[in-house]
Amino acid sequence: MGLATCWFMSTVEREAGEVARGLRRRDPSLIDDLIQQYQYRLFRYLLMLTGSREEAEDLFQETWIRVLEKGHQYQQRWKFETWLFTIARHLAIDFIRRRQPQSLDALLQPTGANRPLELADTTSSSAFDQAFQGEEAASVATALRHLPPSYREVLTLRFHEDMELEEIARVVDSPLSTVKSRLYRGLAMLREWLKDISA
Amino acid sequence: MRDDIHERALQLVDKRQVEGLSAEEHNGLEAHLESCAQCQKGALETERALRALRSAVPRFDVTLVLTTQMRARIRACELIENAARMRALWISCTLSWVLGVVSAPLLWWGFEWIGHRWAISRAVWMTGFALSWVAPAVVAAAVIAWRQARGSSVTEPR
Repeated sequence: MGLATCWFMSTVEREAGEVARGLRRRDPSLIDDLIQQYQYRLFRYLLMLTGSREEAEDLFQETWIRVLEKGHQYQQRWKFETWLFTIARHLAIDFIRRRQPQSLDALLQPTGANRPLELADTTSSSAFDQAFQGEEAASVATALRHLPPSYREVLTLRFHEDMELEEIARVVDSPLSTVKSRLYRGLAMLREWLKDISA
Repeated sequence: MRDDIHERALQLVDKRQVEGLSAEEHNGLEAHLESCAQCQKGALETERALRALRSAVPRFDVTLVLTTQMRARIRACELIENAARMRALWISCTLSWVLGVVSAPLLWWGFEWIGHRWAISRAVWMTGFALSWVAPAVVAAAVIAWRQARGSSVTEPR
């Protein structure tokens, strides 16, 4: 068990080291590979964050350009996906600030008049309905429409990305207690909405 | 009291998904779920909600990846070119500074000799010496500023 963990950790570190060196060189083929590897995950995260397909597509491109520009800052002790999602999140917040200037605190509040990270009109049926496919896509889309973006964000990081709570706290730049409370509330709301829809 | 037990069980159901349970909590919850149909239903609803969330796959446009890869390649080339240009600039600045420092005593001696030779006042030949130091940097800065102004007017279509 110990040996297997050591082997796994050294493999992860070696890969992170290769990514760090490639990013410092601005190696185009490495960027191509990273885009391929993380395409669905990044897009899904941005979609959950913004609630808008168009905004998610724009931010997807901008995130990779930013990864290229800031690649020299990436350190191999970080997990690449944590760094990637942090960049994507900062870009999304910058994007909202440009559109509707307000304080960062207001952007990060999960409820209230200035709903955070709310780029699209998620009360309309188009935002998630057209974005998702799958067995229960329609009911999930309806439930997600009613969740605050900050809840959708932590739900996707925890249950799609299987991130540790500490990693999520790092990505969303919030205390662990805030992440947990958002997860519990988000899960409860999701469950209630899906129950109502199926009833 | 009974309600508290069910509420606690449902909290543990959520905790199992969010942060995991200790062995003691896990055993307690399993024992309760075996004997309580209501909480079992609650646990199934939570599992169903998460299964539904995980099964939702975003529709993904493949052209988005191709476009992004193309943009990233172009930007990578620009950044590599800029880095090479900046490296050349730094090397030439460093060389120029080193040469300037090394040649300063000689230049001073030269200006002083000219001043004595043609009886030029001390203030004039010293001003000449100072200008010989400052003039190249002023000219270089003016050229860079002019090129940048020209470049920005070309790249600003709107």
